[in-house]
Amino acid sequence: MVETHDDLRPLYRIMLVLGLVSVVILASGFALLLRFAPPGQHSGYRAHITGVYAYDPATASITGSAMTRFHRDQPFAATVDWGNLPAGMLVSARWTDSLDDDVGSTQPTPVAAGRLAGENALVPVRASREFGTNLPGPYTLTVVRYARGQPVELLATARVTVLRDP
Amino acid sequence: MIQQAAYRRRWRPTRYWLAAMIAAALFVVLVLSSVASLAIGPVPLRATLFGLPGVGFVIAATFFALRALHDHEPGIRLRDATRAAALFVVGIFLWLAVVDVYTFTQEAGPGVATACAIACVPTTAIGLLVIRRFDRNEKEPWRLVLVAALWGAVISTSLVVWAEGLWDLVFTATLVPGPAADTSAAYSAGIFEELAKGTAVVLLYLVMRDEVDDVVDGIVYGAAVGLGFNFMESVAYMTHQYAILAPVGLGAAGAAGQWYFRQVVGLFFGHATFTALIGAGIGIARQMPLISQRLLVTASGFLAAIAAHFAWDAWQAFVLVGSSSTQLLVANARYVLVIGPFAAVVLLLLVMGQHVEGRALRRHLEVEAAGGLGAVLPYEVALLMSPWQRFQARLAALARGGPGAYLGLARLQRAQLHLAMERWHRERREIDQPLAAEEALRQHVLELRG
Repeated sequence: MVETHDDLRPLYRIMLVLGLVSVVILASGFALLLRFAPPGQHSGYRAHITGVYAYDPATASITGSAMTRFHRDQPFAATVDWGNLPAGMLVSARWTDSLDDDVGSTQPTPVAAGRLAGENALVPVRASREFGTNLPGPYTLTVVRYARGQPVELLATARVTVLRDP
Repeated sequence: MIQQAAYRRRWRPTRYWLAAMIAAALFVVLVLSSVASLAIGPVPLRATLFGLPGVGFVIAATFFALRALHDHEPGIRLRDATRAAALFVVGIFLWLAVVDVYTFTQEAGPGVATACAIACVPTTAIGLLVIRRFDRNEKEPWRLVLVAALWGAVISTSLVVWAEGLWDLVFTATLVPGPAADTSAAYSAGIFEELAKGTAVVLLYLVMRDEVDDVVDGIVYGAAVGLGFNFMESVAYMTHQYAILAPVGLGAAGAAGQWYFRQVVGLFFGHATFTALIGAGIGIARQMPLISQRLLVTASGFLAAIAAHFAWDAWQAFVLVGSSSTQLLVANARYVLVIGPFAAVVLLLLVMGQHVEGRALRRHLEVEAAGGLGAVLPYEVALLMSPWQRFQARLAALARGGPGAYLGLARLQRAQLHLAMERWHRERREIDQPLAAEEALRQHVLELRG
């Protein structure tokens, strides 16, 4: 340190301590990442999202051909080939909208893929209660595998767009 | 004259070369980013029409650069090279501004984007005014503060778009949605955004070291870059919210909500705090005698900024999870709880830095006054050390001799403090210019005194 009347060592030390604290923060973030995405969870399976279709809530069935763009007042649902997955595998599928809010899922809790295959379960998007229609923007479907009560592996994703104009 | 006299150093070209290498690397990244914007991004080809002025500046810069290479007279060569550099920088800024505007605001259209930008101007301006006043003794020149903010708004945002997009594609999109993906995204934002902003402070330090005196100046420039980045990000989020919620009649409310959180609550508790930490590290490094100390403290500043940004993005969802009736209160309190500790450290460093700087300047002003050379008179020391007394003296000059007297006294006060600052750096062996430089500054003060 240069010999002068003023001493910058306290400033220097505060920055070094802050740097050390920062390393701890970033390391704890990595621990969080490992906690929610534990390594060694790769099952080797991929879910097959066969398509996203216009959906009739009254009959709980899909119509027409697969599409990637929908109008705001047009309900839609995804079909997944659940039979492609082991029957005992616990899975869940959910839609998130352009604000990253959950807007539809298979079941509130994960269920066995075999049961979903038996029911030929669809993954519909429910229109917002507040607005009555879907919000515009990208919608993302994720199919996730669960183990020990938490999601551990991403099995498939799909994305469609809800147009601004109805 | 002052800068040339006081700050020319034998090793200065090393810093310039380092700055040039960083700038060249950034330029390559920005060109790739820009080409990608046109090829696969949301920027339509017609955007190039609006970017033509930028292209024109680059052509003019090329002309002057070639002429500088051809000139044999050093004076003319330097003038042409300076013109070329200035035109080149302006051209790049213009072009990237066009790309940014299309990338960030195209969803809601130009009218809404303009309204959002206008709404963010007063708050960002207030932010810049406040942080510039942090420097009680020797305020940073507006042109550099604005360049720092412009860098944050235009260059840094351009740099991060594609880096974050690539990270998302390679890492985040492969993770389970929820805390894991959120943490990955937080790493991406923390690392890339802080590196992009911090580069501005590093370049400013390398090119204009005479304007980055200590930790206080570092905090001012760092926060200015952060405020610029926050400006562009606010406009992007406001237009995004508007585009999504406008069809259900809530577009303006959505944009207003984003404005409130990013331009009011988060104006200082956000990017300004993060990048101020980088600036603090660089400011302290500027006064460290050993290269190892400089590198360590600069790295600490970057780490602190990345960690603060990461903590905000990754953990805010877990802090103060309240019911819907208390959501607004919770949303406000999160800023204080998550970013507050980092902002407190910035304030602590600022106050300590002001104390060290103030003590040093007073001591050197007193020594200068005692020397009897006339640049600083004994009764002026207390006045120069108080921003309020300096302002009162300028007001008195205004009353006596009008605006000319006010500005003249302001220049004199600035030059006197500059002289004291130069003496301080000399005492700390932070400059290696001979005493003649100090004498040149003294003569300048005497000329201003008339």
